[in-house]
Amino acid sequence: MELEEMKLAWNDLSKRVEKQEILNQQMIEKMTKDQFQSNLKKIALPEYIGTIICYLGAAYLSVNVPKLEEPLIQFFGVISIALLLILPIISLQSIRGMRKINLSSHSYLETIQIFGQQKIRFLKLQKLNISLGLFLLVIGVPVLLALQGKSLNPTPLFWMLYFPLGVMFFLGFSYWVLKYYNRKLQATEKLLTEVNE
Amino acid sequence: MDIKEHFTKVIKANEGLIYKITTLYTDEKQDRKDLYQEIVYQLWKSFGSFQEQSKLSTWMYRVALNTAIFHLKQSKKRPDTIPFELEMDRLTDESDKAEEDRIKLLYKQIQQLNLLEKGIILLFLEGKSHEEIAEIVGMSISNVGTKISRIKEKLKSQIKKNTDYGT
Repeated sequence: MELEEMKLAWNDLSKRVEKQEILNQQMIEKMTKDQFQSNLKKIALPEYIGTIICYLGAAYLSVNVPKLEEPLIQFFGVISIALLLILPIISLQSIRGMRKINLSSHSYLETIQIFGQQKIRFLKLQKLNISLGLFLLVIGVPVLLALQGKSLNPTPLFWMLYFPLGVMFFLGFSYWVLKYYNRKLQATEKLLTEVNE
Repeated sequence: MDIKEHFTKVIKANEGLIYKITTLYTDEKQDRKDLYQEIVYQLWKSFGSFQEQSKLSTWMYRVALNTAIFHLKQSKKRPDTIPFELEMDRLTDESDKAEEDRIKLLYKQIQQLNLLEKGIILLFLEGKSHEEIAEIVGMSISNVGTKISRIKEKLKSQIKKNTDYGT
């Protein structure tokens, strides 16, 4: 299909589309109401809920970690608290910029560039977040077990089997997730290069 | 005429335009509906500040296309959709199979272009002049001409690839 043929097909489509009525006045009014939850406004909601959960977790650990006796587990506890405080900040940082965009003041090209840059930043922060999240999972488990009064020592299987398996899963999952984000990063970088050519 | 009434008239007069943009930037019906109402909402948000400094169509295309870009990221987060039907999901009469195939092929070709090319080709197919495309997209008129030539070449090679693959 040549460009001119495409234009003819597009004109036919336009004629059909223009005959149709999609919205009535009430629907348009509903869509313009301030109460209407814009997609762009909804982005942050899960992140805010996640932040509250993380901070509650950090508060719980802050109260209980000083009660632990083993120095290594205490150290893990402190690291866990720090991660629970940092992870939501990284997550919120990655979506903050997007809410500032004024969709009417930028040209299409500028919007693509802003979108691409934000996406790259978002993907990089997500990579960091996932790596730190998985690390939290590994060091958080012994802390939680210790807080419940369960010791890791009586189970030799833990160090011989569960721990190596956990580390292997951690490394495998990280590799898979990071590969996914790297692919997305490359695609976005390619788009930006093409656009700027 | 109050601002809401004026806005409603503008939207009613340009329903087709919004519909065509939503079909180019989404794959699924639900996404299409979400994007449709997002575009109407974003247009309303900036309608007050649009004081006819540019042409109405230039402003509409700009906001609608920009909204479509950001919708790509959010398409999995669905708001409560206001119930309405996009009746043109079947674009042609059932009897007109050749026409339907032609439109499907047209969409298939455009979907393979990158975001910038997609926007430029949409405006080109809408019959916009190079000057108008340059204003909406934000590049020089000569750049628009170059881009359109490149898109033509790209489409040719896409079609060739598809034909070779098909045979």
